[in-house]
Amino acid sequence: MHVLIVEDEKSLHQEVQQFLLQSQYLVDSAYTYAEASEKVFVNSYDFVLLDLGLPDGDGLELLREARQNDRQEASFIILTARGALDDRIKGLDLGADDYLPKPFSLLELQSRMQAIMRRKFGLKRQEMQFGGGFQLDATGRTLRFEGQDVSLTKKEFDLLHYLLLHKNRVLTRLQLGEHLWGNVLEDDSDSNYIDVHIKNIRKKLSQFAPTDFLETVRGIGYRVTEAN
Amino acid sequence: MRLEAKLALFNALSKLLLVLLGAVVIPPVVSRVAVGHTDQRLHEKQAEVMQLIRRNGISAFVKGEAYADYNILKQEYITLTPLPAASEPTGKPRIFDEPRQVDNEIEDFRILSYNFNIDRKEYRLEIGSSLATVELLTDTLRHMALWVLVIGALITIFTDAAFAHYLLRPLRQLIVRKLRGVHHPSAFSYTPLETDTADFQRLDESLNEMMRKIQSAFEKEREFMSNVSHELLTPVSILQSRFENMLQDPELGHAHSLKIVDSQKTLYRLRNTVKTLLLIANIENEQYLRDETVSVATVLAEVTNELEDRLAQREIHLLEDLEPDYVLLRANRTLLFTLLFNLISNAIKYNNWGGSITVLGRPHPEGGYTLSVTDTGPGIAPENLPHLFDRFRRFQKGASAPEGYGLGLPIAKTIAEFHKAQLTVTSEVSKGTTFSLRFR
Repeated sequence: MHVLIVEDEKSLHQEVQQFLLQSQYLVDSAYTYAEASEKVFVNSYDFVLLDLGLPDGDGLELLREARQNDRQEASFIILTARGALDDRIKGLDLGADDYLPKPFSLLELQSRMQAIMRRKFGLKRQEMQFGGGFQLDATGRTLRFEGQDVSLTKKEFDLLHYLLLHKNRVLTRLQLGEHLWGNVLEDDSDSNYIDVHIKNIRKKLSQFAPTDFLETVRGIGYRVTEAN
Repeated sequence: MRLEAKLALFNALSKLLLVLLGAVVIPPVVSRVAVGHTDQRLHEKQAEVMQLIRRNGISAFVKGEAYADYNILKQEYITLTPLPAASEPTGKPRIFDEPRQVDNEIEDFRILSYNFNIDRKEYRLEIGSSLATVELLTDTLRHMALWVLVIGALITIFTDAAFAHYLLRPLRQLIVRKLRGVHHPSAFSYTPLETDTADFQRLDESLNEMMRKIQSAFEKEREFMSNVSHELLTPVSILQSRFENMLQDPELGHAHSLKIVDSQKTLYRLRNTVKTLLLIANIENEQYLRDETVSVATVLAEVTNELEDRLAQREIHLLEDLEPDYVLLRANRTLLFTLLFNLISNAIKYNNWGGSITVLGRPHPEGGYTLSVTDTGPGIAPENLPHLFDRFRRFQKGASAPEGYGLGLPIAKTIAEFHKAQLTVTSEVSKGTTFSLRFR
């Protein structure tokens, strides 16, 4: 998977780069509009992570340019801190595949990238096997154990799905909460909603099989370990 | 009332006044003119008769007795009467109205009476003109004048109205094309108005000029917000990514992991504060559009769907009673969602375990709608109520004042105001709190 990071802020650039490298992506870098424009023209990427406010140009212009180039089939994800309300609409109109306002979670970025890949390659059903017999279908939003339906609420389902997407990674309550509540501004970061969700998920799943795969990491968060 | 209607009304009233004035003034004027005309004719006839007398001699008319003559329809008569000697002096002709009997009929006459002296004898010449004739004439004249006046007035009322309509067309276009339905400078049309009326041209130009200034101020504000946003959120973004990467490091010890999770929380608080301030600033600077038709029930359903787990977790019963639903014609769906989400999320957060929330929607007889969210929580102390919507105000901890209603309420208030709605709160300690949203 070949990714071009277009971001002029060096520290952020490095963090995104480090994260993607760890996740086994092939990463290319551009810090300016000119650099990015050249790379997009010459190379072919799977993803371009595009910051809009570049020192020597507008990222939207780069997107427009790239979309006119037939050979460039990269999916564009716009990353911006400008907070301008019509950037999102403009970006999606110009053919961006997704839009993440800064600050964003790297895990969220990764799961968006995975979703785009699934869309792109027409994977209708994305089935995930875990915990010795559970099957989670993200598209149909169903969870089954050996053919039997396991009933979860919307948030419980989203939470479990997110943990499965980031298998073997500790996810903090904040990261999980941010995924569940997205743009809603919550001011009680200490709330225990996530703990209650996890408790309920464990309760529901344990009627079918042990839930050892869903670990609590004390003081930090939760993790789904590779079971099978 | 529209300008055109006012003009037409004024026009019609002034014409009516003119007609009334005519009705009052014309009759006396006409009768004076008619009388003057009759008198003139009487004088002319007198001169004619006197000429005849001088030519033919008085004896041709008066042979001892008085002479009298009248025409067949008795409209006019002439008498010549010899007078006793020196009874009345010769003088100017007098004209007066008097009844006279002519051929057994009494009629009113306008009479010219003239005493004259010929061959040392006194005579009186009387020439009468029937007043009925005069009145007939004045009536005809009066009617004609009034009709001309009325018809003239009607015609000018219509032509004036038509002209005013034509003349004010640019103004109507200005209102329809440029003012009505323009809620945001970006929706304004700068195409010049087609008119050769200098006043309208100037109005149009000033309007365009003003709108340009407003728009440029908007653009500057937008740019400023965008820059501020960038400057504040970029460092937060860097730290957030860095913490996430650090947590993934397998060599990180548990103690440090805990510190990073803690830092993450601190950063999250900072992030939320910044985002809240930016959101409020953006709403207050009209950077959001209100161009959607939104049903309150639909948004409420979305909100409760998002919050169903939280309701269930605290075993709180939510009662929805919208009778009927309310549809906002000019709203921002995303913001409205945030508003309702904040109200109901607060009602969950500050409720007792197993309590209830009532969402009540009722129309007002005089128009508008009130949506209220009532919880069965511990309530808010009266001294804290006035400051509930203040940004960043913290309350003393206590049973009746949960620490920090946070930024949810200032946001809710700002969004309500953006939708021209009023957000108010009433609360009773240990009974519950009601937030009411009054749409107009």
